[in-house]
Amino acid sequence: MKILLIEDDPETAGHICHALRAHGHEVEESQDGSDGLASARRGQHAALIVDRMLPGLDGLSLVRQLRTEGCQTPVLFLTTMSGIDDRVAGLNAGGDDYLAKPFALAELVARINAITRRGEAGPPVLLRVGDLEMDLIGRIVHRDGKPIELQPQEFRLLEYMLRNAGRVITRSMLLENVWDLHFDPRTNIVETHMSRLRAKMDRGFAQELIHTIRGNGYILRAD
Amino acid sequence: MRIRILHTEGFRIAAIFVAIFAVSAAALAITTLAVVDQELRSQIVQFANADIGSIKDGYRTQGEREALEIVGQRMASPGASDFFLLQKNGSERLAGNLPPMPAWTGTIEFPHPDAAGRSVLGVGTFLAPGLYAFAGSDLHATQMARRRILRTLFWIFAGALGLALLGGVIVSRSFLNRTDEIVTTCRAIMAGNLASRISVRGTEDELDRLSETINAMLDRIAALMSNLKQITNDIAHDLRTPVTHLRHRLERARDQSSKIEDYDLALETAIAASDDILALFSALLRIAQIEGGARRANFAPLDLSSLLTRLGDVFGPVAEDARHHLCLPPSDPIIIQGDRELLTQSFSNLIENAILHTPAGTIVTVSLAHRDREAVVTISDDGPGVPPDEIPKLFQRFYRLEASRTRPGYGLGLALVAAVAELHSARAVIATVSGGFSISLHFPVHQE
Repeated sequence: MKILLIEDDPETAGHICHALRAHGHEVEESQDGSDGLASARRGQHAALIVDRMLPGLDGLSLVRQLRTEGCQTPVLFLTTMSGIDDRVAGLNAGGDDYLAKPFALAELVARINAITRRGEAGPPVLLRVGDLEMDLIGRIVHRDGKPIELQPQEFRLLEYMLRNAGRVITRSMLLENVWDLHFDPRTNIVETHMSRLRAKMDRGFAQELIHTIRGNGYILRAD
Repeated sequence: MRIRILHTEGFRIAAIFVAIFAVSAAALAITTLAVVDQELRSQIVQFANADIGSIKDGYRTQGEREALEIVGQRMASPGASDFFLLQKNGSERLAGNLPPMPAWTGTIEFPHPDAAGRSVLGVGTFLAPGLYAFAGSDLHATQMARRRILRTLFWIFAGALGLALLGGVIVSRSFLNRTDEIVTTCRAIMAGNLASRISVRGTEDELDRLSETINAMLDRIAALMSNLKQITNDIAHDLRTPVTHLRHRLERARDQSSKIEDYDLALETAIAASDDILALFSALLRIAQIEGGARRANFAPLDLSSLLTRLGDVFGPVAEDARHHLCLPPSDPIIIQGDRELLTQSFSNLIENAILHTPAGTIVTVSLAHRDREAVVTISDDGPGVPPDEIPKLFQRFYRLEASRTRPGYGLGLALVAAVAELHSARAVIATVSGGFSISLHFPVHQE
């Protein structure tokens, strides 16, 4: 996948490039806003990583401009502002996700992977990984043909994991997308709900579908 | 001092009043003089008319001799005109004390024949063709009267001016003394003596009010500065601890690690520790941002009941795993204006506090009620509670109860709750009833 990185700080840009290349992505770099806008218009990118504070043209205006021109490339905003309104402003401008500096590179890679495959096909009715099936209309989950009873919270968690099957999902991605919590809680919300979900859909089966990636998060896959 | 007095507001006001007084006094003097002048002249003319009338009567009844007689009598009498003239054929004086003169008739005024600069006012008429009579008086008396009046007015005016200036100086002097005191106090404060305050006389005048206001402002600034100092100290102290721990760990890893795995572990913990420090900074920044301005851009109508129900679903299993019981009595929807994200974080902080800082078996209750135009969210537990003397300090940044110092956290949770409550114009009420801790947030509900 070719990713356009628009970031003026060379050190941050270097780290990000290194991490993305290590995960097999091709990275094009741009160091200021207007230059970045030109590159975004030219190339076919799988995703854009845009810093909010840029020389030339700021990140918000850049993305707003691209969106009015009809460009649908997924955008991840980066910012040093840990403001309350910044995330909302970024999403309103047409961003798909938002990451405040400093961040773990694994978090960035996970989020880029999540947004690049978003909207590949129309909304599916049936999600399936291995012998696990989720019927989104009937809101029923089966594994190996046997029905699994899930609480609403557990259903939402599993749905998000199924939609992002095969990709690393970080704790904060789960907190934001499953529970709509935009802060770092002091209790083990993710671990608690995850262990309940696992107890229902992994225990008693030959193969575990949910895997813990130490220090990073979780992944749902059947291999 | 003398020169400065001229530049005070008190003196300026006194000067303006003196000027207004001077103009009105001048107007008064001019009017008075005109009236007096008019009155005296008309009196002279009246006398003259009376005299001329008598002479005319005498001439008509008994002829020229009688007229001469009457002029002689009148000249000697005190209640009549000063000057008389009875002349025949333009130049022959028959009687009187004036030299012959042109035969002007009517009310006339001409220079005094003997004294330069004085004039005579009177009435001239013809008794018969060729027989001219005049009676009039010296205007000198009038001029003397006018001069006396002017002199009196001048002294009154000078006295009043002097008094006004004196008053201005006295008022300015006292004003200047008091402003000097304010200036001196302010300079002392600028020089570092923050405890100085301006003395108040208790007269409740405008300077007293000004002094009181300045003193109140100084108190507020002092409180803010002490708060800031406290925060700076806290930050310095509370950040030093985790940074020091991080440094110790790295040092130990360098000195004691022999295997790659040891280094890996040391790096992992170092990264986690620096993440903690960064999180601490973010939390501080966030609180400062919420406190700093009314960031109400994200305010929207939201239902507290459904927000709390969602949090109950999220934290219920967490509480259960910690062997606590999270209890959420059902409630009707209550809509308030608020920032969903910040309220979610505040309520989460309170629920997490109740779970983390109480022993196993504690029941945590989250309830919502509509009381007196307020939406009241209460998070309470039946745990050991908080010592009463610690309660006022709970909302301070970095404040942690002695018992919880060993647990993770920085004591910023309730500071954030306080800031968010303030932003929503909500009151936070803490209660420790019958062993246990309860905190209520009272949100104003504006309309049904």
